This record gives sequence, C-alpha cells and structure tokens, in this order.
Amino acid sequence: MARVRLENITKRYGEETAVDGISLEVEDGEFVTFVGPSGCGKSTTMETVAGLTQPSEGDVYIGDDKVTKLAPKDRGVAMVFQNIALFPHMDVYENISFGLRLRKYDDEEVRRRVEQAADIVQLEGMLDRMPAEMSGGQQQRVGIARAIVRNPDVFLMDEPLANLDAKLRVHMRTELQRLHRELNATIIYVTHDQAEAMTMSNRIAVLNDGKLQQIAPPLVCYNEPTNLFVAGFIGSPSMNFAEGELDENGVQTPNFHIELDPATVPNASVGDAVTLGVRPEDVHLSAYADSLNQPTAPIDARSDVLEPMGDEVFVYLLLAEDAERTMDEDPASSSGQLLMSVTPDTDIEAEQDVDVVLDRSKIHLFDTETGDALTHDITDQSEREPGTTATEADS
Amino acid sequence: MTDTRDSPQSDDSNGREDRTTATDSRAERFRSSSGLRADGGRETTESDRAAIFEGSQDAELDRGPFQQWAANSIENPERVYRGMFYVAAIFFLFTTLFPFYWLLMVALTPEGQLQDIIFTPNGFNPGAFIEVFQVIPFHWYVFNSFVIATASTILVLVVGSLAGYAFGRLEFPGKTPLLLLVLVISFFPPAAFFIPLNDLFNTSFFMLEPITGDGTLYNTPGAMVLPLSAIFMPLAIFILTTFYAQIPDGLEDAARVEGTTRLGALFRVIIPLSAPGVATAGVLTFIAVYNEFFFSFLMTDGQPQNWAPILEGILAYQGQYEVMYNLMAAASIIGVIPVAILVVVAQEKIVSGLTAGALKE
Repeated sequence: MARVRLENITKRYGEETAVDGISLEVEDGEFVTFVGPSGCGKSTTMETVAGLTQPSEGDVYIGDDKVTKLAPKDRGVAMVFQNIALFPHMDVYENISFGLRLRKYDDEEVRRRVEQAADIVQLEGMLDRMPAEMSGGQQQRVGIARAIVRNPDVFLMDEPLANLDAKLRVHMRTELQRLHRELNATIIYVTHDQAEAMTMSNRIAVLNDGKLQQIAPPLVCYNEPTNLFVAGFIGSPSMNFAEGELDENGVQTPNFHIELDPATVPNASVGDAVTLGVRPEDVHLSAYADSLNQPTAPIDARSDVLEPMGDEVFVYLLLAEDAERTMDEDPASSSGQLLMSVTPDTDIEAEQDVDVVLDRSKIHLFDTETGDALTHDITDQSEREPGTTATEADS
Repeated sequence: MTDTRDSPQSDDSNGREDRTTATDSRAERFRSSSGLRADGGRETTESDRAAIFEGSQDAELDRGPFQQWAANSIENPERVYRGMFYVAAIFFLFTTLFPFYWLLMVALTPEGQLQDIIFTPNGFNPGAFIEVFQVIPFHWYVFNSFVIATASTILVLVVGSLAGYAFGRLEFPGKTPLLLLVLVISFFPPAAFFIPLNDLFNTSFFMLEPITGDGTLYNTPGAMVLPLSAIFMPLAIFILTTFYAQIPDGLEDAARVEGTTRLGALFRVIIPLSAPGVATAGVLTFIAVYNEFFFSFLMTDGQPQNWAPILEGILAYQGQYEVMYNLMAAASIIGVIPVAILVVVAQEKIVSGLTAGALKE
C-alpha cells in the first residue's frame, strides 16, 4: 500500500483543458472518491495516475517515487473499469491470473493467489467459466478479483458500479467497503453518483470543469461545502438556493428577508450580492419552530406538490403568488421555490398556505459572484469558522 | 439462413390461415344469427359479405398459367427468391468447378488421346498423378511455393498488424494521408516495379554474401517474399485496421495496467480477439502469393534448387518438342490441394471475418 500524490496535474487536448492544475494527496490505506458531473476531468485524472494518459503538466507520485513517466505496468496500480473490460477470450481463471502470469509467477503461486482472490470476492467454483456466461455483477467481481490478485499498491476504480442495476449496485457498494477494510488498501474511486461517494469514502474530492473544488470527508463536504458547486452537487435532493443582497439588517432575497448582522459575515460587506443556501431538511414548518435553536422569522409560502418517499416527504413550496414553476432538473435551486423535507406524519397537504422557518445554524451564505462560501452558520452567539477543514483548489 | 427465414414465414402463413378460418366461422355465426331474425334486407348484406370473402378464389379461375404463376409469385415471393438462389448458386458452382472437372478429365486421359475428350476421359490413366513426381521433382517446387507463401504471410501479418494497430487505434497527425498513400501504392501494377526490382536483386551486396553466397537476392526466396509481401500488404493493412479499431479501448487499457506494453496488449488481447480478421488477411495473402505468376516466373532461373515456385514446376512439363498436358493438369490439381486444405480449415473464420469487417457495430 502506498500514498498517492498529484502535483499540479494538467491535461490539455488541443485547446480543451480537461484537467486544470489538480494537486491532492491520498493517504496510505485511504479511500478517496473523485466525484463530479460528466466531463469534469475525474476519469482523466485517474488515467494519469494509472499511466494510461500522460499529463500535459504536473507529476504523479506513488509512495515516494515519481511515476509520471513510468508505463502503467510498472506503477504497481490495479484498475477496475466501468465497462468491466474482462478479456472475452479467456476464462475467469485466465482473466484473474493474467497479470501474475505476465510477471512469471510459478503456477502454484498463481493458483493459490487466484483462489484466494476468488474467495474474497465470492467467486468460488466459477473459475472455468467464460465472461460471457456470467451476470454483470459476477463479471465485475472478476474484474475486482483481477485487481486484488496482484496485491497492488493502489487500486483505481473507474465507475465500477455504473453498469450494474440499482439493487446490485447497493450490494456491491457494501462489498467494496468490506474489501477496503479487509485489504486496508489505498483506493481511488471515480463516480458521478454522489450517493456512492458519500457512503464509501474516507474523503471526497469534488471536481468541476477540471478543477478540484473541495477535498474533505463526506460530512464536511455536506455540512460545510466550500462553494456553490459543491453545495449543489453533494446531497440529494440538492440544496435550496436564493440569490439576494446583503443589507444593514441581513440578507434580502426577492421573496424573504433573513435578519443578521452583516459584520458577522466574513469577507463580505453591505451591498454585496450573496446567495443563501439551505438544505431541504433544514426548512421546517413554523409550527415546529420551537424545536429549533434559532429559527428565522416565518416565511409565507404555499405548498405546491408533495412527494412522499416513505421515510420522508418532499414538499415543493412556492414563495410568491406568481412564482414560476420551472421545469428545471433542479427545481429547488430556482428562487421563488423552496424544497422542504418533512416526516411523513406531518400535517400538510398540497395547495395549502403554510409558514416555514429556516434553521439559522444550517444556513449557508455564498458570494454570488465567485461562488465561494462565506459562512455555514448564521446563529448570533456562536463563532463562525467557515470551511477551515476545506481546502481550496485554485487559491 | 434460409431455414431461419423459412420458419417464421411458415408460421406466418399458418397464422393467416387461422385468421381466415376464424373470420369464416364468425361470418357463418353471424349469418345464422341473422337468419333467426328473418330480416330479408339483412340477409342480402350477409351474402354480399360472403361474396367478398370468396372473391379472390373466383378471380383465380380466369387466369392463364403465366398469370397464375405471376400472381403466385406476388403472393409468395419467398418461392421466387429461393428459385433464383438455386439458379444463381448452380451457375456459380458450374463456372467455378467446371475447370477443375476439365483438369481432372485431362489428367486422367492417357497422353496421345487428348484431342477427343468430350465429358469423360478418353481412357483412364491415374498413373499421371505419380508420373508428375517422376518426370521432375515436382514436390520440391510445391515445397518452395509453400515456404515462400508462408514466409510472405507471416511477414505481412506481423508488419500489417503493427500498421493496423497504428492506423486503427492511435491518433496521430497525418493518419489519413498515410493510409491513402498505402492505398495508392496498391493501385500500381506490380509489373511497374519489376525492372527496378530485378535490377536491385541482381546487384551484389557485401552484407548478403554470407547468406546468399554471391550477395544477390536473385534465386532466393527473398526475391519473391519481399516484393510479394509489399504488394499484398495494403489489403492486409486495411482488413486488420478495421478489426483492430473495433476492439474496445478498455480491454487494451486493462491489459496495459495488468502488465503488458502496448505491443504486448496487441499480441495478447487485440490479435486473439481479431482472429477472424487475422485469418482472413492471412489466407488471402497466402493464396495470392501461392498463385502469383509474374514475380514467381521471373525472379528465379526456374531450377527447384534455386527456389523456383510451383508455377515453374508446372511449366517444366513443357519440353522443346512436346507438351505433356496430362501431367500439367495433374500437377495443377496437386498444386491446388494445399490451398484447398487451408481454405477448408480456415473457412469459418474467413467468412465471419469478411462479413464482420464490413459491419461495424
């Protein structure tokens, strides 16, 4: 096992910059997930670690060695692919032992290690099957066995679960976590699914437009997102945003006003454009305001649509009479609408006037222009330390 | 192919019959039920409807045999297609196989009676197939041809694989112009290369002396392997490029991460998965070199010990005063055998190779 360090990795394809100066370090035995929308450069970044892509600038270190110029086979990495990439002309045994046989291990050692790897991923008795005869989940387990059999320094997993069906995906998620614990391996995992990133990783690296937005433990990314992108990307359904302006008394958005002392907001002054963010579970009916430490003043709203999910109910609130119902993918992010999540026993119906309050300790303020987080808590007494654990990529 | 197309067809016609009988019985039920009402007007409509059902059968009675055949063909085009298939197949089989039949007839006819072959041999002399080896060392010529064709095939496959990998799987500036250049070279008539090549191969090179004795390539397999490989290379490059381009990048990446170089991935993963394409390119090259006339005829002095190919062997039955046509025919048949065996062995792969190359998934 080994540490992985990326130093200012940049990859350009002609005019396009796919990866833009990414620097980060993955500790020995750590499970780090690269997450971001498609085309954000996460796969390219991983390919530079694997050696399948040469970075235009920057260096890759595995352990203490600079491996930027090394061929993939000499880097001590193993990779699990999204399209599984089993060799179709070899049976399971030959697939798993491919790397060992290339390295001229003797037959007994190969058999012993293949059987051990097959045991870990629960593939006993399937070693003589051809990949085409197996289900998607079994094939991906062969892919994982092929990676672990060589006992590599670093595991690279490029969306390994993306081609599996939903139920199997959840199952494999727990298997991968178990595997990480058993092997105590350094794993770099790429996904566009923030749920996978949240559930499995020690730390999440959020990428967008080829830049590292934040690398932090999942809950830090969730509770203290470093900018608007991370705030919107991590969490499902995503955070509510309302653009507004900082005035003497607080934050004025088109539909409501939140009181606060502008002096307590770091790096912002009166008159600045700010974006207020609040997660659906931090929006409450004013009837429940007592249970909160510091609720905001009630905000008039009208419930529009209810989405009962079983364990919770999502309520789409319209803040203004004439609020437009947007057909965006992310309705909660448009001003004029607010998404609230409540427990199923809450007494609320569609098309009903309600008052809601926000949890002041869970309100995030962002600089609208730069997108950077200003504060993650606007309670009066407590001290505010925005994003101390968060690292800024391009500062 | 015809089988699979037949079965749904027959299913379909069965279904159609079922449907007509169903309609008939429905019409009958309807008629009987309307009969109960004793409503004259309704009765007429029913008989009209029945007339519509029977209309097609009535019309058939008026047709002549040709019209009836045309109507049947329109109704059941499968039958016509099948008929056309047999006609075409028999035609092609005849044009392909008749020359071999005729060769066999000539070979079996004793010398001196060759003028009067109609469709059966004029006499019976199977000994000609042994005589060919007694008159000249024909097996030696066959061996020479076999070695030359095998060496050319290996050379073409190795070089063509490397080129096919580069053209099919890499992006580099000037890729399309280079591929077109390869294509353009294959347009030149091979004869255009002959004089300079012959001159070159008759020039003595110091470093070749330990290998060929006099330092020239004339009268060595090299004099045929080199130009013939070059001539048949473009086709192989095109076939292999198409195949290698279709192997998913992920498989090559996986092989490289697992421990091969790019070249290792080519030989361990890409080539085995492109087996039909490699077999096709290989067999086509082998046959083309084995059958080649021009260079084979001119690059040696015709002696078997000087690597003269099978062609020279067949022509060796042509003496100054007589031509032993029956032995030439027998030798020709013997010469075809290696290729025939090769094609039969590789046939399955070739067919899938030729079609898979055309259909890109």
